[in-house]
Order: sequence, then structure tokens, then C-alpha cells
Amino acid sequence: MSERERSMVDPAVMQEILRRRLTRRSVLRGAGVGVAGFSLASLLAACGGDGGGGNGNGNGNGNGDGETGFDIAEIYAGEPGDTLSFANWPFYLDQSKDADGNVFNPSLRQFERDSGISVEYRDVINDNAEFFGAIQPLLAGGDNPGWDIIVISNGRYFTALVTNDWVYPLDPDRRPNFDANAASWAKDPAHDPGNAHGMAWQSGITGIGVNRQMVNGPVTKMDDLANPDKVGTSSVGMLEGDMPDWVMINLGIDPQTSGPAEWREAAAWLQMQQDSGTVRAYYGNDYLSELQNGNLTAGMAWSGDVLYSEVWLGYDMEFVFPESGALLWIDNMLIPAGAQNPVGAAQLMDFYYTPEVATMVTEWVLYMSPVPQTQELIVQDAEAAEEDGFKGYANKLYQTAESEFLYPTDEFLARTSFGFTDWTDEAAEEWDSIFLPISQG
Amino acid sequence: MTEAIGAGDPPPSRLPERRTLGSRQRLTPYALLGPAGVYLFVFFLLPLALMLYTSLQSGGLLSGGFRFSWEVSNYADVLGQYQRQFVRSIQYSLIVTVVALLLAYPMTYWIAFYGGRFKSSLLLLILMPFFVSFVIRTIQWKFILGDNGPILGALKSIGLLPDEFRVLATPFAVVAGITYNFLPFTALPLYVALERIDKRLVEAAKDLYSSRWQAFRKVVWPLSIPGVFAAFLLTFVPATGDYVNADLLGGPGTTMIGNIIQQKFLLELDYPEASALSVILMLVMLVLASLYARILGTQDVARAAGAQV
Amino acid sequence: MSTIEVAARTSEDHPPAPLNPARRRWTRFILPAYTLLLILYLASPIFMMFLYSFNDIPGDRQAAKFFGFTLDWWKNVFNIPGLPDAFRTSLEIAPVSAAFATVLGTLLGLALGRYRFRGLRPVDFVIFLAIAVPEIVLGASLLSMFVLAEFPPLGFITILLSHVGFSIAFVAVTVRARVQGLDRNLEDAAQDLFATPLAAFFKVTLPLIAPAILAGFLLAFVLSLDDFVITNFVAGQTPTFPLWVYGAQRIGIPPQVNVMGTLLFSAGILAAVVNVLAQRRRGRG
Repeated sequence: MSERERSMVDPAVMQEILRRRLTRRSVLRGAGVGVAGFSLASLLAACGGDGGGGNGNGNGNGNGDGETGFDIAEIYAGEPGDTLSFANWPFYLDQSKDADGNVFNPSLRQFERDSGISVEYRDVINDNAEFFGAIQPLLAGGDNPGWDIIVISNGRYFTALVTNDWVYPLDPDRRPNFDANAASWAKDPAHDPGNAHGMAWQSGITGIGVNRQMVNGPVTKMDDLANPDKVGTSSVGMLEGDMPDWVMINLGIDPQTSGPAEWREAAAWLQMQQDSGTVRAYYGNDYLSELQNGNLTAGMAWSGDVLYSEVWLGYDMEFVFPESGALLWIDNMLIPAGAQNPVGAAQLMDFYYTPEVATMVTEWVLYMSPVPQTQELIVQDAEAAEEDGFKGYANKLYQTAESEFLYPTDEFLARTSFGFTDWTDEAAEEWDSIFLPISQG
Repeated sequence: MTEAIGAGDPPPSRLPERRTLGSRQRLTPYALLGPAGVYLFVFFLLPLALMLYTSLQSGGLLSGGFRFSWEVSNYADVLGQYQRQFVRSIQYSLIVTVVALLLAYPMTYWIAFYGGRFKSSLLLLILMPFFVSFVIRTIQWKFILGDNGPILGALKSIGLLPDEFRVLATPFAVVAGITYNFLPFTALPLYVALERIDKRLVEAAKDLYSSRWQAFRKVVWPLSIPGVFAAFLLTFVPATGDYVNADLLGGPGTTMIGNIIQQKFLLELDYPEASALSVILMLVMLVLASLYARILGTQDVARAAGAQV
Repeated sequence: MSTIEVAARTSEDHPPAPLNPARRRWTRFILPAYTLLLILYLASPIFMMFLYSFNDIPGDRQAAKFFGFTLDWWKNVFNIPGLPDAFRTSLEIAPVSAAFATVLGTLLGLALGRYRFRGLRPVDFVIFLAIAVPEIVLGASLLSMFVLAEFPPLGFITILLSHVGFSIAFVAVTVRARVQGLDRNLEDAAQDLFATPLAAFFKVTLPLIAPAILAGFLLAFVLSLDDFVITNFVAGQTPTFPLWVYGAQRIGIPPQVNVMGTLLFSAGILAAVVNVLAQRRRGRG
């Protein structure tokens, strides 16, 4: 573990987080108020009666594990079901065309063959806030959320899901591949101590994606994105979810120790950028198609997306690590509470920690794999391809195995930072009041 | 005797437009509106009441949920913060409605009066593009109007347009998109009103007046005003709350109040403030539309038109 | 003495205004040409959609460039996971919701357009509200209600219920406008001829307002098929076609979406053709 990683699991910080979680949970139970405020109890309370007991949020029955209110043995009892639904981000799973021209996911097909479970895979997640907003009513109401596995980035919404008991805890006994093969950063991360709720899907960084032909000169730092002479007017895309942290990093602020004063600095920069006229819109994952079709000349971008566009789709695009720093994030697989097939979900999650399978994924998505052995395996695939005469394909694979965006050095990682982590409701409110007006025009 | 048709009271021998009923018949209107009334109560009024209730709640999602607390400050907060978006939305919709009316009226006039056998087919022709999801159509517009897309790209390459010229992410694109999407909601009520105007009135007017234009002005136009009113309502009000066009075709400076509400509900999960915004939006719409109705006094015109011929 | 008779008598005294044949011929084409242009404009994205359903793109998502012609997407229409289901869901919901809304809305429009009764004003007001409320408000409030009641589970049923809910008022307003302009004499005459008001209704009133009912049904159908905003709030995890496309367009829609759109559009043309033929047969003028 590097210095950075050690500081992320500072015991004191962990204690603080745990303490707050317990307090909030007891508030939920005691007040008897549904998180969406819509329980019958809260209506009665409004009419003057006592809050009274009643369901906190529709989940969690208070037996078994004292921390989460879920009983792991209960959740993972029995055999896996026949079907599994998996929601993920776009371009986040290996894809191929079979003989009939049908698109399919090779790794999933292998899982389906091995396990007998059929998987419904949908790339419906475009933005953490958006997806959270969409499933929150279902989770709060105790309904079937419609998915067995979802993928959420570390941060505010991950925290919300965990603290409200809207995700099932993971069973530590059902992940042998994870235990054997996961990278140290994927094990016991700060946002999810002990991997109690999630396992990393991929990690990546947020930097700058550039359409080489369309900009006037090299774009290497954040301030270039506010310079109309360099990038043009109304042709820069900003990632709404990432931009506060990203701007802070590039201003030399560490988001994890930041407070409202620092947030205002970042907001001021963003406002300045908007006033300069370079910004076209604030995006989720939909920035990529705009970058590809040339409506954007440059903008905030995720490493794998741009690398994929450049290497495999042949766009004249470049992923730039900004001079002053980049945002590091980890996307996590979670099992939402109320999922119909948690046993199957756990099986699938662990399946993706098999080195061969992880390699299939990484070769395609070009993000940081939580399985370090993939680097070796990619090189082996490249050598095999070379022997078969597929020189171009092999070169791309070599490129992949050597890319520091996928297999970063410690020095590389030292220039990245995670985003703000100390999410409480007060913090969220303050944060929103500072940053939302920027994108709301 | 030859004053503008449609004005003045009907002669006493004519029946009033609405019947006053005999005892058994008195129940008829209630029977008629019963089913719809119940349905609308459960799936329309009740949810709105709930929204009013929510707008007076306070609290946050990550800590204890929302509590009802007569939080009138929600209203003050959102009013202060989002004036610009409100005003912008109303501006955009006004433009949209006026343009849509101007575009749709001549077309529906022609179809209603000269469509003959093809009336319903022509109507179907207007509606047909809207059989395809508006999301697809708006995406196609986004593609057509792209910075280097089929139209702009071609014009730029032959030098007719400067390289930085763009249509997307401007207010023009948003307004054009909303107009395009709401055109059928303007056209249909206009058509229905125009179609039921008795053509003999127009013929008579043409015999009396010297030109088609005057016949139009004195006969058709006044009789079509209920339709114009309906078309205005059906276009202006939903357009003000639209957010998809601003989302797909707009930029940071085109955010409408609908976008704010959507974000507050689905992204920020700030139900109380979002509900407050919605209530305000509804009230503004109500006030504006009532004013409109009062000025035009459409009730009289409708009654007279029905009783005359 | 009706105004028409008066007008007719007057025309005997004054000859009709002289016509200018040459000018008349020319101006006669303005309106039809304009209508045609407008229809073309309305349909232009449809042409693009049709054209790009044949685009031979290398990947599987729509690109701006036109690469060449291929029938691949037409052959493999249903290959995109999730898309056929969403398409089917939309096609199942639209006619059902339009039917319910038309029945309820027609009755409502009749009541409003014809009768004066206690409670007319409030009902009128509610109808107006139902149209005045922006979709987003309705969608969010419906979602809250379904979640609070914890029934029905968000999905097909809630979408259907919501679609009927917002369509009723549109149908009612359309029918009411027509009903308000009806000639009362016709109805009175019918009542004299027929034994019951009900028979009079079916034989006389209904055919008279039929165009408005049809217009209302069409409107409700299109509203349901097209609806995005309200459906977005209440669909849970059951995508309809617009919902699916909106989600997909972020990264690029697969060309199969264009294929399906073209199919929908063709169905519309078919309906129009059938309509024309049916009208010709009925000999309606």
C-alpha cells in the first residue's frame, strides 16, 4: 500500500464513519419516518400523533448483523435463481458480434454457460445521480428494484445506498476469486471498509478528452478548457458529477479535506469558465457521442471511453492527463436490497475476478482492472495474436498492457486524488447550493 | 341583419346552448361525468394534493427523511433562486405558441375548408410523424442540426457560414424544437373548431362581402376563436413545463423551469422544494390562462355560434 | 328568419363581387402549397430516420457519417437486447389507454358541452387543470402516490393508469368543442322521432360528434405512444420505446431504432390509406 492508500483507511476516519452510520440508522428506526417521508407513520405524525414505530425504510428487519440490520445467512440462503439482471454503464463490458451479426457479450455468455443462469445485461446507467434517483423510490418503498447488480461510483450515492440499507451486504464467504486475485486498492477501500457492500468493477480517472484536429494547439491543463481561442466557443463538455472534485484537484485542493470555502473556489472557476463561453453543456456519460461526432472539441472525459474511441474506433482523439491532477474513482458492483437473485449476483460478481474473464473485459473497456494479473494475460494474448498474424490487433493489445492509464505506477497514482468523501446531509445541501446553480443556468 | 355573424344575443325563441333539465334528466350529466370524474380524482387530484403536502415538508433524504412542517420557506427559497428560469420558460413558450399558431392556422384552415374527402387523411398526414416517438424525431433534429452535420457542414464547407456557427445549444434550437414537437397540439383543436364552422356561413359571407379575406375576417376568424383559445392553452401550458428539448438541444443558458423541477425530483431528490416549484408553476399557469379567458370572453362567442344556424 | 335566408335575399339585389380569374387561379395554390411544405417539414426527421436505417456503419451505434447501404439492420431488427421488449410495451399500452381515455373523455366532454348543472364550474376547472399541469408535475406526483400506496408496483400497470389519466382531459376538450357547436334543433328533432333520449343520442348525436371522438382517440393514442416525461417517472424499470431510445441516444442509438421508427411510420401511412379508401367507399363529401 502506498502512502495515499494507507491514509485512506485511517482507523480514526473509519471510526467516525461507522459512528455516524449507526446514529443515522437509529434515527430512522426511532423516528419511524420513511426516508422518502411517505410512510403512513409520517402522515400520522403530521396530523399530530406520535411518530410511533413503523418501518424505517421498508428494509432491514433488525435481526442478525447488528450493523446493517440484514441477515447475510438469510439473504444468501438456497440456490441461485435462473435469471439475473445486471445494470451497468455503457461501453463497460466486452462486446462482440457472432456469425449472424448479433451483438453479444462474450464474458457473460461464458458465465451463462458455466452457471446455467441467464443474464439480462443493460447499459442503462449514465450518471450516478440520475440512476440513484431512478431506483431510489423503488428501494425506499421496499419494492423490487428490478436489478440484481448495479454499478455505482464511490462517493455520495454509494454512501447513500449503504447508509440507508438499500443494498445487501456481501457474503465474505462467496468470493474466493476476489480474495485471491483482487488488487490491494480494490480490497478494503476507504469508501467500503472490508468490502462489506461492494466489489470494484473497474477504476479509472477523469481527465481531458481532446479532438486533436479541432483544437488550436495542445490542450494540457484545466484552464485550456476555459480558453475560447484554444477550444472554441460552446464546444467544451463538462462532466456534471465529477466537475466539482476535478476542478478542486486542478486548483491544487485536496477534495477529501475540502470544505465550503474550497468548494466556492471551484465554483468560481466553473462560473468563470461558463462566462468565457466555451461550455456547451454539462453531461453524464453522454459526452462521448458528442465528442465523437465533433460537437465538442474537448472536455472532461473518462480514460477508458477516450482510449476506446481512439484505439478501437479510430477517432482522432486523445486522452490527456491534466497538468495539475486528475480525479480517481472506483466503480463498484452492488446488490440492491430487494434483488431477486442475490445468490446468483454474488456468483457473477466473483466470476469477474477470474483473471481470464477480467482480461476479456479489460481488453475491451480499457479501464483499470481490479485484477492485476490481467496485465500479464493481455501480453500473452498479444503474443498469440502476433503469432497468428494479426499484427495490428496485437499492437493494440501491447498498447493496452503498457498503458499507464490501465496499469498505473505509484508516481502516476500520486498525481491523482479521490473526491470528497465526508458526505452528510448538511454537506450535500451546502455542496448543491454552491454547485448546482452553475449547471442550472 | 347583416352584422357580423356570431355577435349579439340569440332570439328568444331559440333554445339556450345548455339545457336546464327535467327531474329525471337532471342526473344525466352526473352519470356522464361520473366515471371520468372518479378516475381523475384518484389519478390526478389526489397526487396533486400530495404534491402540495410535500411542498410543505422539510428535511433531507440522507438524514431521517422528510417531515411535514408547514415549511413555507420552501416557496421563498425557490422563488428567489429560480426566477430567471421561470421567466425564460414563459418567454420561450410564448414564442413557441405564437409561432405554432401562425404555422398551424393556415394549414388547418385549408384542410377544414378545402380538404373535402381528404380531410381525415390530411389530418392523419399531420399526425403521422408523431406516430414516431418524439425522442427519435428530436434526436434526428439534433443530428440534422449538428455543428458539422448534413446541413451546417455542407454550408460551412462552401463558405456560406463561418466555422463557429452553430444552431444546437442555442435558445433558437430549443424554441424550434418545442414548436416542432407541439405543432399537433396546436393544429388539432384548431382543426376541430374550424371544421365545425358551417361552410354555408362562409358562402353567404362571400356573397355579401367582396373578398375571401373579409369573409375570413368577419366570419371564420371570430368563430374559430374558441379553437384558437384551446390551441393556445394546449400549447402554451405544456410547453412551459417542457424540459426534454432544452435537455437534448440546449445549452447552459437555456435551462427551463422544467429542467430544474426534473433535476430536483430525480437528481437532487429534494422533493419539498421540487414540489414547491411545481405548485408555483401550476399557479402561474392558472393565473395566465384565466386572464386570457377573461379578455377574450370566449363563452359568448361559442354560445352564439352554436345557436345561430 | 335565419341569417342565411336574409343573406340569400340580399344577394339577389346585389350581384356578387366581380372575380379576377387570373389572380384567383394563382392564389388558390398558396394554401395547399403551404400545407404541403409544412407537412414535409414535419416529416423531415422521418426521412432522415428512414435513410439512416440503411446506414452501413461499422459499429452498432448510429453515426453521423453515411457509410453506404445495407439491409443488415432490417434483417436483424430484434437483436438489440431490451429494444423489442420496450417497443412491444409501447404498442400494448397505447391502444388500451387511448380506448379507455376516449370512452371516459367523450362522456365527460358531452356532459361539459351540453348540460348546465351544479358542479359544472369545478369540473371545468379540473379539466383545465389536467391540461394546465405540466407533465413533469403530474409525473412526479403520480410517482409519489404510487410509492406511498406501495401499489401497484411501478411498471406496466402504473404506466397505463398514468397514460389514461392525462389523456382523458385532452379527449374531453376536443369533444366538448365539437359538442358546443352542435345544432340543438337536430337533437330536438331526433328526440321527437326516437322513443328515448338514448336512441337519439346514438343515432344523431354520436355520428355528429364522431369526428371529434376520432380526433380525440388519435390524440390519446399518439400521446401515449409518444409519452416520455410522465412515463419516465412512473415506469419503474419497465422501459417503453421512448424511454429506451432516450437512454440509448446518449451513447448513440442502434440503427434498429430507425428501423422500428420507420415501421411505426409505415403503419401510420397504412392507416391513412385505409382511411382514404374507407371514406371513398362511404361516399362522404
